[in-house]
Amino acid sequence: MIDELAKILNHKNVEWEIYWEIGTGSSFKIEKYEIVRAQQKFHSGIGLRIGYRGRTGFSYITGVSHRREELERFVERTIKLARVSEVPFRGFPNSKKKSSVPGLYDRATAEMSFEEGYDAAAMMIEKGREILGEEHTFSGGIAFGTAEDGVMNSNGIEKTMKSTGISMGVYVLKKNGRRGSGSYYQSFRRLSEAEGEMERGIEEARRDAELSWSAGKISQYEGELVLEPHAVSSVVSILMHSLYGDSVYHGQSRFQKIGERISSEILTLVDDSTIEGGARSYPFDGEGNPGRRSVLIEKGVLRGFLLDETYGRLMGMESTANAARDFRTMPHIAASNVIVEGKRENLEEYEGIVIKKVFGEHTANPISGDFSLTVELGYRIENGELIPFKDNMFVGNIFEMLNSIAALGRKDEDLSGFISPRMLIYGKIV
Amino acid sequence: MVLMMELIKKAEKLAEEYGVEYYEVRIARISAVNLQMQNSHLEELSSNFEIGIGVRAFSGTWGFSSANDLKRGEKAIETAMKIAKVMGGDSRIYIGDPVRDEVEFTAKKSFADIDLEDKLLFIKEIDRLLRDDKISNRRVSYADGIKEQLYFNSLGSEIRTIVPRIRLSFSVTAKKGMNMQTYWKMFGGTGGWELIESANLEYWTGFVKEKARSLLDAEPPPSGEFDVIMDPELAGVFIHEALGHASEGDAIKNGESILGDKLGERIAVEELTVVDDPTLRGKFGSYIYDDEGIKGRRVEIIKNGILNEYLLDRETAAYLGMEPNGHGRAQSYNYQPLVRMSNTYIEPGDWGFEEMLGEVRRGLYLIGDKGGEVDIANGTFMFGAKEGYLIENGEIKAHIRDVALSGKILDVLMSIRAIGRDLKIEFPGYCGKGQWVPVDDGGPHVLTRALVGGLL
Repeated sequence: MIDELAKILNHKNVEWEIYWEIGTGSSFKIEKYEIVRAQQKFHSGIGLRIGYRGRTGFSYITGVSHRREELERFVERTIKLARVSEVPFRGFPNSKKKSSVPGLYDRATAEMSFEEGYDAAAMMIEKGREILGEEHTFSGGIAFGTAEDGVMNSNGIEKTMKSTGISMGVYVLKKNGRRGSGSYYQSFRRLSEAEGEMERGIEEARRDAELSWSAGKISQYEGELVLEPHAVSSVVSILMHSLYGDSVYHGQSRFQKIGERISSEILTLVDDSTIEGGARSYPFDGEGNPGRRSVLIEKGVLRGFLLDETYGRLMGMESTANAARDFRTMPHIAASNVIVEGKRENLEEYEGIVIKKVFGEHTANPISGDFSLTVELGYRIENGELIPFKDNMFVGNIFEMLNSIAALGRKDEDLSGFISPRMLIYGKIV
Repeated sequence: MVLMMELIKKAEKLAEEYGVEYYEVRIARISAVNLQMQNSHLEELSSNFEIGIGVRAFSGTWGFSSANDLKRGEKAIETAMKIAKVMGGDSRIYIGDPVRDEVEFTAKKSFADIDLEDKLLFIKEIDRLLRDDKISNRRVSYADGIKEQLYFNSLGSEIRTIVPRIRLSFSVTAKKGMNMQTYWKMFGGTGGWELIESANLEYWTGFVKEKARSLLDAEPPPSGEFDVIMDPELAGVFIHEALGHASEGDAIKNGESILGDKLGERIAVEELTVVDDPTLRGKFGSYIYDDEGIKGRRVEIIKNGILNEYLLDRETAAYLGMEPNGHGRAQSYNYQPLVRMSNTYIEPGDWGFEEMLGEVRRGLYLIGDKGGEVDIANGTFMFGAKEGYLIENGEIKAHIRDVALSGKILDVLMSIRAIGRDLKIEFPGYCGKGQWVPVDDGGPHVLTRALVGGLL
């Protein structure tokens, strides 16, 4: 049917791009050691972009099995939108370069039946019971799915990919006078990886729940502290806004020039959609540009922005293949796997203040960089002893924080596509 | 129509075959228009239409399936029933009586009758009004959508609803050197074009520009525990985060909420009454029936300081031995309903603003909602304000920027010292809980105490 749509489009005097998706997904929700909800969903659809006399029209239809008349109406409607629209058309990609990323599709996950999913959820409950005592409440879930996506355009691009995903979430609550909670979430490409991580995930959530249970607020602190990968991910998410090409182009970022020094030389920050089996990897982006590794910050120096085809052309740069989308939306710029790299030191045995998790980063001001985040869990380590805390606020400015980075740890954690070690910074807790 | 009748019959037959206790089907037709402009550069203009089906079946556990191709409608019904059957389980749900109804939120001036070209002219006009030398970025976003939904269930309920929703927002960023500050305003509700046509755009565009510019000279906030006066907009996000989420029935049922065993107990000062009301006319979070075919009802979550009622759907109501109050909402046909808020607000008290100000020796007056988040298990919430002012000896002093607050639910509700007379519920937004639903919230001015995370 996609070919038929392409045929119709080829008879029109327009540039065009078809993006399509077909997929299924299943999930099981666990509450208090019981599976309480399960679902299996099917989705499919086509997004169509038309370039016509320098303007763009976009529209979508759900489903991928339409009669010719319906497809013709779909094309006419999108061309009509391009006529009235004033969205500038900058052209579609024409890179026919073949690209592939291994490890994104796992047959065992794709062929996983609903019953097998149920068994995996039941196994999670069983492991939960083994690891946690009666004093813990265990919730969580498991989700898996498979999808086929494709891009085709009037420049001759024609690409398809198949991928699978499986994710697991655990939430442990300890109530006994006081309260404490711990959680774990991770997504994988392969069923076998998920199964292997189940115990570790529950164990980690249990450990955090215990710590959180005995944690309280600490007094104000300002000085050297370590952020665990989770907390690094929260603050880096505030920074990413300033690295998006559209923010830069529209004056919403303080970064304007490649080559500026923007952080301590310890830090290198990379966006890489080509990591084997990566949670956010893809062989091509939502416009068909081949996935790639893009260095954003190298030893403290700004090296690049995240771009899609439109903003790449507007800024006289090449797309970095960061066009994210689904069939219902026009492409927009988003990161793929984000990697924090740089000079390593042993921070694994650091003694002092460590912040594990914070929340509320969406309330920060990404433009000024100021943030105040609630500490979900942190600890002070003294002589090997761990004293947990929570409910304080971790406050600062992301741009000042970047300059204060003093070291990165040796051990990386992959948090579903955000890969980082611990980070030693100067910071403030109130 | 013929297809719908067929599906109803098919569902009956399949339910018998699989022996499911209860099922419900939602078939939605959605048409939506989106326009987005940044610095006079139109980024999106789309007009789309979509049909889909979502099916839930219950047999001790919920099974759900959805499809966005009605040709897969029967398959979705069968899948949901199969799942419910395979899973078993011993949960219960509230069944109730069948409902047959056909209702529509009326618009004075339907946005479907306004040409796309005119909507484009409208946002261009706003973009023009936002232009200014000191403004480095302007964004205008417009969205409208009509959702027609047919709901039917195994009891014989058949409910048709039509809900039109419209939203307009614009923001500006002012720049001076490396300093940049943003301010924004949002309008919206259930109804028609009249909801935004009545907005005084000259005034509001001027207002956001002035705010963004003046924030460039504002100071960073202090940090520590302070007396805090929240304006109606911030009071709305405060009560949504600090109380609303913890009163959602699913959080009670799964044992997570800190309010789990507190029904009937005093959890706030006596002056505090908090309401969630989907029946308010024209508000962004309003609806007639929820996505479980239950009529939305006004709920007094806190009444005179006492935890009075939870927000409930069919399952959490049965769990607690109560009746649902119409708070089972789904983002769309392809999502399962969850317990959600609608329009949440604090009932007005009898304080005047000046009087309230007089109570504060050293504190903060905080204005506007910048989003929030809550950890309902630990009872900790946080939210950001668009701007604020220092208060010294009852007087408003320096302008402050980028301020966020955090607190413990149970402490902060007990620390409320004054509730104003000036109720406003006009702050449309979206609430996320794995799914996004439109909500509104508000309140009068409120004086309490919280932890301010400032840079000084």
